[in-house]
Amino acid sequence: MYGLSIFWDYRVILWHGLLINLLVFLLSSCLGLIVGLLACICRLSSLRPVRTLAACYIEVIRSAPELVLLFWIYSVVPVLLSDLLRTHLSFDPIVSATLALGLVSSGYFAETFRAGIQAVPAGHVEAAQALGMTGAAILRRIVLPQAVRLMLPELMSQNIGLLKTTTLVSVITVPDIMYQINLIVQQEMRPLPLYTGTAVAFFVLILILTSLVGRVGLRGA
Amino acid sequence: MNQKAYPAPPAIRVVGMTKYFGTVPVLRGISFELERGKVLSIVGASGSGKSTLLRCLNYLEQPTSGEIWIGGQSMSFGANRNGARHGPPPAQIARIRAEIGMVFQQFNLWPHMTVVQNVMEALLRVRKISAHEARARAERYLAKVDMLDAAGRYPAKLSGGQQQRVAIARALAMEPQIMLFDEATSSLDPELTSEVLDVMRGLATDGMTMVVVTHEMGFARDVSDRVMFLHQGVIEEDGTPATVFSDPRSERCRQFLSKYLG
Repeated sequence: MYGLSIFWDYRVILWHGLLINLLVFLLSSCLGLIVGLLACICRLSSLRPVRTLAACYIEVIRSAPELVLLFWIYSVVPVLLSDLLRTHLSFDPIVSATLALGLVSSGYFAETFRAGIQAVPAGHVEAAQALGMTGAAILRRIVLPQAVRLMLPELMSQNIGLLKTTTLVSVITVPDIMYQINLIVQQEMRPLPLYTGTAVAFFVLILILTSLVGRVGLRGA
Repeated sequence: MNQKAYPAPPAIRVVGMTKYFGTVPVLRGISFELERGKVLSIVGASGSGKSTLLRCLNYLEQPTSGEIWIGGQSMSFGANRNGARHGPPPAQIARIRAEIGMVFQQFNLWPHMTVVQNVMEALLRVRKISAHEARARAERYLAKVDMLDAAGRYPAKLSGGQQQRVAIARALAMEPQIMLFDEATSSLDPELTSEVLDVMRGLATDGMTMVVVTHEMGFARDVSDRVMFLHQGVIEEDGTPATVFSDPRSERCRQFLSKYLG
């Protein structure tokens, strides 16, 4: 017997841990989508300095490893800000996790938004222009409805990647499922059933989400 | 009989228009006038600048130099403080474009809207009429191109000829002064071109001012009031179909036509 029942014994604590993962996921996804949208709008601006600034931001933030950024935002940024503002600041672990994962995601989301918008055929825009429609109306009525349909599958899979990345946040003391599991492993010295159980829990969660994505994707087609 | 004090301005007036893509000249010194109610066909080899000329008329391409008047309204452009060329303000361009209908080679119907929604869209956003009125007008023009039955269908379910007829209805519904056709039948299978050409013929008979870029020499000869032959960005021949088709002065035009007419 590999004693898989031990995972079941701790289910309440582990469930609360998983909820923390979901919380960080939702918060960082929202942050990433908002910042990513802003970055995409700037990236497509007609003003060259704005375009360049946005392109730099996206390139830099996409290259940042999530783990490094987690530590940096949790440990380094409060120190820098404290010096600057001559006060004592510290970041809540969940806030740091949201910022780190949200900002990295914003880079990926921005590029997905851009690809979706640019995939709308130029001819559709020209037809709207030839009819006398203005830029805002063209974007709202012609480009975005098509672009959103095109970018949904990629956005969904990027969000699933973000959900998996939330398993890193225990390193900055966020009490997520990995944090709880590690504490229990230290006490019980039974890594096999505990880590296996966690992996299975995540697998099931992502399977459910992926099949939901599949259904949304089909309906949108 | 009442005589007007001033004659109506021509539907289109172009003076000295040139267009460069980078350093490549595509249009060189194009000048012509087109009266209201007349049909002008523009023919020429690929790369002669025909489509570019058409697209400059509704400012989808910005001419490098020259002047364009649409119905007496100037699409003027000048130099700003830095000496760089700039076009008319976007609002003015949009206003003039609303008076010019354009039909594209690739139809360019919006796939996420039904046929009737495609035709109604500009009526709602540009003419700003009520939804009820827009639908009535859309259905009227769809009936005119014999596509009313397909009103609730999506463009992807239609044949090329059907899509192009819807595209014509979409442009016509705006009740423009001028209709531009950019190789409207070139993407169609041969058996589908006649249904579109018939619609275009009908418009000409009804007195629409039309500029038609086409390879359909039969249409150019039988329906146009005037034919222009373009070669490497220059108008080499400009006259009635009778003159241009039977006795062109330009040797290149003669060769071009002989290929098409046999």
